[in-house]
Parts: sequence; structure tokens; C-alpha cells
Amino acid sequence: MAAPSTTGSFPNPYEVETPPGCEGWEEMYPYYGRFDEERREADEQRFWFWNSMHFPVPMPAFDAICIDTAYQALGSWQNRVFAVPPAMGIDWRCINGYIYISGNPVLDPDRIAERAGYFQQRAGYYYENWNELYAKWRTKMEALIAELGELRVPELGEYEPDAVAFEDQETSYCAVLEAYRRALRLHDVMWQHHFEFLLLGYGAYMTFAELCKANLPDIPDQHIAQMVAGLDVLLFRPDAELRRLARLAIDTGVDPAFVEGRSPEEIDAELAQSDAGRAWLAELEQVKEPWFHMATGDGLYHTYTSWLDDPRIPYASLIGHIAALKAGEDIERPTDHIAQERDRLATEYAALLDDAARQGFEQLLALSRTVFPYVEEHKFLCDYWFLTSWWNKIREFGDLLVAHGFLENRDDIFQLSRLEVYSALDELLLTWATGGRPRGPKYWPPIVARRRELLARLADWTPPPAVGAVPEAVLDPALIMLWGVTTQRVHAWARHQEGGSELTGTAASPGVVEGVARVVKTVGEIGDVRDGEILVCSITSPAWAPIFSKIQAAVTDIGGVMSHAAIVCREYALPAVVGTGRATSAIKTGQRIRVDGTAGTVAILE
Amino acid sequence: MSETRHTLPLAGLRREHSGSFGGKSSNLGELIAAGIPVPPGFAASATAFRAFVEGAGLDGMIAAELERMSPGDVDSVGAASHAISQAMRFAPVPDAVRDEVAQRYAELAEEAGVADPPVAVRSSALGEDSQDATYAGQQETYLWVRGADHVCDAVRDCWVSLYSPPAITYRARLGPSAVEPAMGVAVQLMVDAVVSGVLFTCNPVSGDPSMVAVNASWGLGLAVVGGEVTPDDYLVSKVTREVVREHVHDKDVQYVPDAGGRGAVRVDVPKERRGIACLDGSALDALVDVAGRVERYFGSHQDVEWVIARDGELPASLFVVQARPVTALPRPGGTPAATSAMALVMGAFGAGEKKD
Repeated sequence: MAAPSTTGSFPNPYEVETPPGCEGWEEMYPYYGRFDEERREADEQRFWFWNSMHFPVPMPAFDAICIDTAYQALGSWQNRVFAVPPAMGIDWRCINGYIYISGNPVLDPDRIAERAGYFQQRAGYYYENWNELYAKWRTKMEALIAELGELRVPELGEYEPDAVAFEDQETSYCAVLEAYRRALRLHDVMWQHHFEFLLLGYGAYMTFAELCKANLPDIPDQHIAQMVAGLDVLLFRPDAELRRLARLAIDTGVDPAFVEGRSPEEIDAELAQSDAGRAWLAELEQVKEPWFHMATGDGLYHTYTSWLDDPRIPYASLIGHIAALKAGEDIERPTDHIAQERDRLATEYAALLDDAARQGFEQLLALSRTVFPYVEEHKFLCDYWFLTSWWNKIREFGDLLVAHGFLENRDDIFQLSRLEVYSALDELLLTWATGGRPRGPKYWPPIVARRRELLARLADWTPPPAVGAVPEAVLDPALIMLWGVTTQRVHAWARHQEGGSELTGTAASPGVVEGVARVVKTVGEIGDVRDGEILVCSITSPAWAPIFSKIQAAVTDIGGVMSHAAIVCREYALPAVVGTGRATSAIKTGQRIRVDGTAGTVAILE
Repeated sequence: MSETRHTLPLAGLRREHSGSFGGKSSNLGELIAAGIPVPPGFAASATAFRAFVEGAGLDGMIAAELERMSPGDVDSVGAASHAISQAMRFAPVPDAVRDEVAQRYAELAEEAGVADPPVAVRSSALGEDSQDATYAGQQETYLWVRGADHVCDAVRDCWVSLYSPPAITYRARLGPSAVEPAMGVAVQLMVDAVVSGVLFTCNPVSGDPSMVAVNASWGLGLAVVGGEVTPDDYLVSKVTREVVREHVHDKDVQYVPDAGGRGAVRVDVPKERRGIACLDGSALDALVDVAGRVERYFGSHQDVEWVIARDGELPASLFVVQARPVTALPRPGGTPAATSAMALVMGAFGAGEKKD
């Protein structure tokens, strides 16, 4: 059977137009983040996809640090530490504020073999010592968060404190710059930790998922996750604590304060008036560290804050839990049931497999259960706790710049790149020290205003899912594991991009072929069918049997998986899509079409 | 009953009868033995067919027609089929066979408690329904047949279907290895189905053994099997009973008993019923239950035709009217034989076998 061709194309990244009014968006990003003429020849030939998973909206200049640092860290672990054989790291480029990424493959077989040696040794060490290494990781990560909490951004007073004069304390200009460098460094280290286990953790899980899907092609992803998921993971703790606080409120009689529609401040104010209320608030304070470091959203932008910053979300949950408890509902997470179900699924699915597959299934399930706590927990520690705290730390530098007139609002700092912030701090510290007149207060605010305007306009633009060349196959494990970007997905994008009309129906007999369509509307026309054509008809009847040995696929308007055409096609191992609804009207005899009997789609290619 | 040379009750058949009664009838006997609800009935052996062909002296004529035919040529196949069918339709059914069928039918009427009960008459080809060679839809089914003479005529019509164009094309495709065709016939009490369809005890497209695939449409079973409607399509997890996929289609036609009391007719489904799902959770539950029992009993994946009676309540109103092994099943897997989890993970990263 012919391999599916990669027809279809993506826009050329060099030909994507800037939306009106967005000219000059490039100033927000580093020079190396553009599709520039110097790299044009290579970049046009690469496959780039929009990383909408992590960067769904246009990047503010400062937030772009989460691109650079994240890919420094990912590349370091994948390429320089573990040396994943076929794939190095990930490059990024920006179009109209949106981030496109592309993997760097390793193509030389000798180098792949060399890297395999490193990978087996180093990744093997991690898998074999997972629990021990992961325990150390938790300690490192908690220490990092503690260090961030202790980081102070000095104020700049009229005179330096006595300690500078009498106790050898460093001067404030050194201290501010050092604090900023430390803040950046802590961010670097967070991403280093973030990616230390990530690829290996996902790798084990994905290998298990692939084995499941190879042997049980229709298994819902949810069931795979249920078999692996941990029972007592950090991500569930914040809500578990809220449920506990809801019960406490009822037990101590302070629940009437939790009225739908009240703000957190109003509720706190009422609680503060009674002993029981004050006791509840004291308990809440205990819970806040660390559980209110839960983020209000999922993303790598400064706009995602924590429950501490925006308590409306946890308070709304508290009001809901209290109302449910009073209505006699059980709000506990049924951990016993979840545990039983997780084991029942594993046992029953294992029983459906043959011996070889079952052995792989059981071993990979065990490995996945070992690595999965990391996959679930790094999110709370890195993405939520650290990042929401870190953005707030950067806001403190924003306060400093506001205090000296360089910015109008603390969040304006996120409209400057990390190097521009460094530059602004440099000038601020210079002029603070010299007593000279700073240019910054006139220089930065117009830049901030322009960029805010640009981001608002860019938000209305719809980025194409991919640009550049359509790859024949996606082989990069990171792209597949972390982004789910598979060959099939990419080709579907390309076809959609091409505007070629696609019909969908029931996937009745697996396989993909391309060929010339023969539309047959009446039995009288079946004599016209030529060898190798694809039969397109309303329905088939048993009387059509003779032509099935001639055709290479069948498409029908109506019919299901068990209809005649479907059964006969499976018998002859011909791809078939049935029940498309409109194949005989949409397709003309002589057109080239692609029938994907596995996905249930028919594409008209010309 | 005097002498039973050509017939047996379905309940008396087992796998070992498939050589004489055909796969369909012997499988129905197995299903009854497994305690699966199957409408009662009886079966005619291939000896009845042979007695008919020999009695009418048709052997030479059939061989000559097939000899002349060119299997790839639709017109030539059609001509051969037409000639053989006409000859068979005008040939008499031997009295011995006719009397035996009438006698069994009378017993069935007594069991049902009605005179001239409606029955389904289905062909049960020999060699069909084996693991190697299923050819769906090539043999006939006659629904809502009433009266001994009509049952007898329907039995003959089943025999005729052995020489339908697709059937002879199929045998021609098998080449000289094809055995001499012969056919049994199954006669079962008719269930007036409100919904009917087909289920597979796995997903026949992907080969997933954890799924039950169900196609269902309104009325008697002809519409789904014949591909005349796009049926409602369900994929249900055996493990959790979740409906993993569900496509409800417009089911615009259905087969119902003819108002004259004889035969099934194709009618339009009332507009308001076309687009609604014809199975609910309890029906799917009952079907998944039956699927599991049939699969366990036969020890392999099965393709099951089922009906849900207009009267009565589930699960008692669900009947199986046919089961046969699934052929041409894609083999899922393709994963290299698992040596160890670590080797599989290394493979996922493109690092091949782990060295010691």
C-alpha cells in the first residue's frame, strides 16, 4: 500500500503578513527570535508549529523569558545531559507575537548510536534510582522556593543605611542589581529543575500509553490515566484543604458568614468579629502556606496569579463546599473507590491482552506509577508555586521603577524585556547615585504604552497552526510526548490549510490509499469501474461483489461498520469509509481522493 | 414424528452438526446450549438440498452453466445465476422433505401456541461462517413467513441463493479448492423487533478486544445487515460499560411485518423517530452482557445478530438470532515482543535495546 503522501502545505513564515497597526511588533522580542533573512534558506525548509499549549496569547516582552529559559533547560537535559538519540533541543521564532517552535533532529546514524550509549547509561540511572533522586529533587525545589521568598528588593533612600557606613554592608546599587540577578538566576534554576525529570517521566507514561493503544486501540485516554494516576498527589491538596476548612466552618458555627455573592474581604470582616471566626481565620492562614500558591490559571504568563493574589476563587469554592455539606452532600474525594477502580481497570485490561503484551503492560504500568508523581507534582511546585511567587517578585522591581518615575504601574515592568529592565535599573541606580537627571521617566512609559497597544491588536490575529515545510514524519520524542504533535496531526493540519474539502464518515476498514475516484450511482454503471479505482457510491449491495477485487478502496454515502461494503472491504483488506453523507455529490469521477479508513476521512485532492 | 432424515430442532444441534446443517444452524444450537436467549426453531440439513437437486436432476445443468461463466464479467455471472435460479424455482421439493418441514413447523406452532406462526427462514451454508471464509450477505433470509407451504417455498428460495451472483463469484474467487456447495436452512420463530442490529464482541475495525461494537436501527434486522440505512453506531467498553463512541444517524427506512400477515415490507420510519437514538443505556447493557456470554462460550470474537422484541422488557426481550466467528480481524499490537519495560522505554526514545 502506498504511504500517505504529505500533500498540503503551511504558509511560508517569511510571507506571513503583519496585521494592520501592528507594525514594529518585533521590538518586543530578542533579535534571534525572528525569521531573519540570514537563516531564511534553512528556516523556510523547517517545520514550525505554534506552541499554543504554553503560549496561547501574544507574548509580553518580559514574559518571553519563559521561552528562552525553558528551552535552555529542555535542550540542556534532552540534548546535553541525556543525549536523547534522535533529537536535540527546540528552537523558537516569533510571528506577530506568537511563538513557533521546531525541533533539531539528529540525522547522522553514527551520532545517534553514540548518543544512545549516553542515553542508556544516564536515563537508565535516573529510572533505576527514581525515588531517591526524586526525593532529592523535592528538597532542592522547596529550598529554591524558600530562597525566592527570602529575596529582598532594597529600597533606594535619600541616604544609605548606617549599616553601609559602619558595618560593611554592600551599597544599595550593588544590592538592587544583585537582587535582580538573583531573581533571574532563581528562575533559571527553576527551569533546570523543571526539566530534569520531565522528559523521562512523560517518556515512561507515553510508552505505557502507546502499548495500551497498540493493543487496545479504542481505550479512552482517561482509562490509561486512571490506571497510572496517583491517589495522594500535591495537586489535589489545595482543594482538600478547602473542604476541610468548609467542614471546620460548619463545626464551629461560622458558616453563616459564607454567603454567595460576598467578597472575601466582607467574609473575613464578619469572621473577625467572633472568637470562632478568628480561630477559623487563623486556621486559614496555616493553610495558605503553601496551598494558596495554587494558580488561578495554567500558563507561563505574568497574568496568571495565585489564590493568595486573588482569593475569590478559593472563597467561591468554600461557599460551594459549605452549601453542599449543609445540603447533606458528600464532598469527599472517594479515594477508596478511586483506588479500587484504578486496580480493577488494570486487572481487566491486562486480562484482555496476550501474554507478551501483558508482561509489557504490567511492567510499564509499574514504572509509570513510579514516575507519575513527578509529572503531576512538578506542576504545583514549578509552574504554580514558584512562578506565581516569582512574577510577584518581579513586580517588586516594578514598584521600585514606579517609585522613581520610570514606570506608571508596577505591571508595566512586564512590557520591558528582562534585559531592558536591567538597563532601566542600571540607569535608575546610576542617576540615583549621581543625583543626575534620569532619561528613563520620559523614555520608558511611551514604550510601555505602545506595546500594550500592540499586544491588544495582536490578540485579534489568528495564527496558523504551523508554518514552513510539512514534515514527512514527526520523530522528535519531545514534540510527540510534550505537545502531542504527531505525523498524523501535522498532516491533518496541512490538509486543512490547503483548503481541500474533506469528508468524514465511519472508519469501516483500516488503511490509507490515494487514487482516482469512480462515482457509481446505479448498478448499471458498475461495469465502468477500472482496476485500481476507488469506488464511490451511495450504498453497495451483494450484487456488486465482482468489482471488489478491482477497486483499492470504497466510500459510501450511507452505511455503518457492519454494512456490506464495510464487511467486504475488511475481507479484501481495502480501506473503506462509509456513511459520509455526501460522497457521491461531493466527489466527481476522475478526481484524485485519499481514503483514510482508519480515521474515517476522505480528502478530495484535486 | 415418523422419520427425521432431513431435520432436527435447533436445540438438538451442536458444532459437530455444521458439516451437515451448516454453520448458522449449528451455531444457533450452540447458543441455545450456552443458555443464550434464541428464538426456538428447527433446521434442515444439506441432505434435504441434495435430495432436491438430485430429485430434480439439476446437477448437470448447474455444472454446465458454471463452466460457461467468466467470473470477472458481471453480465456473464448474472446470466449463469439467472439460468440456475430459474431451473431450481420450477423444480419440486421432494415429498419426504416437504412432509418433514411441515411436521416440524406444526410442532413449532404448538410451542408458540398460535396457528401458522410467523417464522424467519435463513440459509445456513456449509463451509460458510468458518474462521477462514466468511462472506457476508450472500445468502438469503426470508422474514415473517407463515404457513407450511410458504415455509417450504422459502426453504427452496434459500437453496436458490446458493447460486446468486455474489455467491458464485465468491466461490470462483476461491478457485478449484472450493468444495461442492451445499446448504442447510434454519427456521426460527419470528420476533417482532422494535430495534435490531448487529454487534461484534470486539471493534472489528481496530481489533480492540476491550470494546463491543453495536449497530442498531429500527424494525426487523434486514435494514442494518443490508446496509440500507446508516445505523446508530455505538462502541461500548466491556471494562467500564462506558459508551466510548456514539453516532446517531438518520434511519429513514425500516422493515416491518406486512399488514397482510405475510412477509416483511420496507417502510419509511416516521420522521420524528428517524434521528433519535434507538438504544438506551439499559439496552446497551443487555447487549454487552450477551456479547460477553457469547464470546466466552465460543472462546473467540463473534459477530452477533440480535433483536429486541416489541413486547416485553429488557433484558428478557433481547434475542440472539445468529452468531458467527469474526473473520478478517485486524490484529492490534505490533509492539515488539516485550522484553522489559526499560527496553520499551528506551525504544520510545530511539535508544533501542538497553546494554548491560
